[in-house]
Amino acid sequence: MRLITAIIKPFKLDDVKAALEQAGVKGMTVSEASGYGRQRGHTEVYRGAEYQVDLVPKVRVEVLAEEDDAEDVIDVIVKAAQTGKIGDGKVWSVPVDTVIRVRTGERGPEAL
Amino acid sequence: MMRGEARSYAAARKERAADIDRWLTDLFRTATAQPYGRESRSGPGAKSGTPGFDRTLGSEERGIGGPPGAGTGVALVAVGSLGRAELAPGSDLDLVLLHNGRDDVARIADRIWYPIWDSGVGLDHSVRTVDEAAKVAREDLKAVLGLIQARHVIGDPELTRAVREIVLAEWRAEARRRLAELREAADKRAESAGELAFLLEPDLMDSRGGLRDVQAMQAVAAAWVASAPGPRVREAYELLLDIRHGLHLVTARGTDRLVLQEQDAVAGTLGLLDAEALMRRVAEAGRTIAHAFDATWRTVDRLLSGPAPRGRRPLADGVVEHGGEVVLARGINPRNDPVLVLRAAAAAAEAGLPLAPATVSTLAAQSPAMPVPWPDEARDSLVALLGAGRAAVPVWEELDQAGVIVRLIPDWERVRHRPQRNPVHRFTVDRHLIETAAGAASFTREVTRPDLLLISALLHDIGKGWPGDHSTTGEIVARDIGARMGLPPADVEVLATVVRHHLLLPETATRRDLDDPVTINRVAEAVGSREVLELLAALAVADGAATGPAAWNSWKAGLIADLVRRVRSVLSGTPPPPAPTLSPEQAALARHGGGAVRVTGTSVTVVAPDRPGLLWRAAGVLAAHRLVVRAASAASAGSTAVIEFSVVPEYGTPPDPATIEADLRLVLAGRLDIEQRLARRTRSLRPPRVPVAPPRVNLLDDASSTGTVVEVRAHDRPGLLWRIGRAFGECGLDVRAARVETLGAEAVDVFYVVDRSGRPIDDEAQRIQVREHVLTALR
Repeated sequence: MRLITAIIKPFKLDDVKAALEQAGVKGMTVSEASGYGRQRGHTEVYRGAEYQVDLVPKVRVEVLAEEDDAEDVIDVIVKAAQTGKIGDGKVWSVPVDTVIRVRTGERGPEAL
Repeated sequence: MMRGEARSYAAARKERAADIDRWLTDLFRTATAQPYGRESRSGPGAKSGTPGFDRTLGSEERGIGGPPGAGTGVALVAVGSLGRAELAPGSDLDLVLLHNGRDDVARIADRIWYPIWDSGVGLDHSVRTVDEAAKVAREDLKAVLGLIQARHVIGDPELTRAVREIVLAEWRAEARRRLAELREAADKRAESAGELAFLLEPDLMDSRGGLRDVQAMQAVAAAWVASAPGPRVREAYELLLDIRHGLHLVTARGTDRLVLQEQDAVAGTLGLLDAEALMRRVAEAGRTIAHAFDATWRTVDRLLSGPAPRGRRPLADGVVEHGGEVVLARGINPRNDPVLVLRAAAAAAEAGLPLAPATVSTLAAQSPAMPVPWPDEARDSLVALLGAGRAAVPVWEELDQAGVIVRLIPDWERVRHRPQRNPVHRFTVDRHLIETAAGAASFTREVTRPDLLLISALLHDIGKGWPGDHSTTGEIVARDIGARMGLPPADVEVLATVVRHHLLLPETATRRDLDDPVTINRVAEAVGSREVLELLAALAVADGAATGPAAWNSWKAGLIADLVRRVRSVLSGTPPPPAPTLSPEQAALARHGGGAVRVTGTSVTVVAPDRPGLLWRAAGVLAAHRLVVRAASAASAGSTAVIEFSVVPEYGTPPDPATIEADLRLVLAGRLDIEQRLARRTRSLRPPRVPVAPPRVNLLDDASSTGTVVEVRAHDRPGLLWRIGRAFGECGLDVRAARVETLGAEAVDVFYVVDRSGRPIDDEAQRIQVREHVLTALR
């Protein structure tokens, strides 16, 4: 099993969600995140006070998938989240040892 | 009205308490009368054979004879909910076994406690002599509260009577210390459990406005410090007991937290339509109790802190402070003055004081209906009330409790106590609205129209009282209310636009691509102007913060700030108003030259040879005569200046125009030190004010070719114009023209200033100096 984490632009969340549902992914975890990559921060003036924005608001999406499906899920996310401009985000995946559904105690793929 | 069709369990609670009493009586008699070794087998468990809360105790069970245990030296006393005969299905039994020191009391206690434990009913128990009970009462607040309401069940009535007498006598004698303790406990409880009326999953017992607050009020009454809770509070209390009863039935546990998933079922047991109907009743009961609780404690504070200061301090026209509360001035008849109620509320909020309960009921009963459209003063007072920020919330609650708000804004009824059943909101709709307005008060310097910001914050979710998208329905209702409030048509349009689009910024910022010019253009098109954008941006922050922590964080704030910045760049603002010019009548006055002062009603016109400092000196004279400048415009023709002030008296009757005129002449001739007069008045009169947003001074570029435009936004106070003008004078500047406006309690003033050589200020260092100097003068 793999845990796929995607950092995307906030407004792309709806698209990514819809695309993942279409691809048969049943659940995901979404959180609000801030960070920067090559996009880096920028200086701006808001209400008269100048301040450095070095963290850009992003959304973090986490999906658990079976080993064989992981590549497809990643493709779906990348396609849905892409605008082609700087700051589109990143997607990565890591191996997962075990998954348990709390309610039933099911383990492994059944718990997904 | 509050109870509606909700089913009452009062009889069931009484019956259950009576059943328990009978059972305890049997246990007690068995324990004291029977020879050791023959334990009683009776008990609810043994009787019904089924565990659970709804078992009825054998009312047919007979007592084991013998007279009540007078002289036996032992008594069983019920405290807590059993003591009050308010036993809910999951309530524990709180029992005290009083004794006179007899040796076998431990055996007797065992024979009573064990059957209770065996039956599965929760038990809080203690065994004490009268002296021990009195000692515990002295040290433990919980114990004393229980003993104050202790109820004799069976045994030697002398013991119970003795304990009650000692405990009550000491409670009364030590009222000052003990009530302070009680208050502290109540505050702590409210802090950890929150407010009953506005929470999604309230604790019926411990929340502010919950059952324990009523019990605390009863304890205050027992100390003879305040009167016992009135019928409305008792009704609210009974309702909460019924809901708690239903909750125990549904969960089969002695829980007090009305969690979301049980609310529908609890509503069902009470015969209510659904969770929403239930929570509306909870909110109303919680508010009634919290409101009465505050009133009780004000009485306590007054009595315990000794005689109140005698003096009456004027706060506004017809409104004075007396003994830490706001009351009506002597001889004021509310029947003649529909605006008085709002003026009193604004004065109370601005001084951070409560309205006296008697004053609120007098105003509620006697105020005539507000004329429609509202007079300007009513709108100003409403805005001043909301502009007081946090301090406005308790005053608003007071008015709402007395039914004043619904009379002023009938549409308010639709959102009153309306719960918001989603995990994002923290408050009911009406409380959310007033909280948002209070929060918006700190953004009054960010916008050109603080009054519209506060009114739109108050109305932004008003549409939630109607079916459909609340932004759409809200726009219609807000337009209607705005017109009722007497806003000019252009302002009504701005208000309606802001209500219609109050979710536009947060929704766009989180769901649309801000890099896409189409997104920005669409928002700009909907918003239309920088002024509306400012209002929407301030409202978005206040709205989010008042909704709850889940709806607002720096993540969202950052996105919205980015959107606002981008939209602002494509919108152009309206330029500051042009410098005023003389009307034909004013020009005619000016031609006469010389000095003249004309006072007609609320307008004061000053015509004098133009000279630096004329405007602010004249404003100072008016302030020294208790006149508040609401608006002013200054213009000059040749060497003669004409200044038109619109004023209202701070309080009392308007001063004599002749003395104003005389003083003005003296000041202009340099023979009267107005500063000293003002300083004296400031020292003697200004009440402590609640914190307000700090003032703001902007020097606008390219607004005028003939002078520098200085925009000052500040909280209004006596002598404001005088302070600003003097600061200009000290910077070596001359005010050529001015437009002064007071919106509610917020002053938005625009000055056209030139330096000594008659030119705009273009030196950057000097601009900074001017800004700093004016800001210092406003502190």
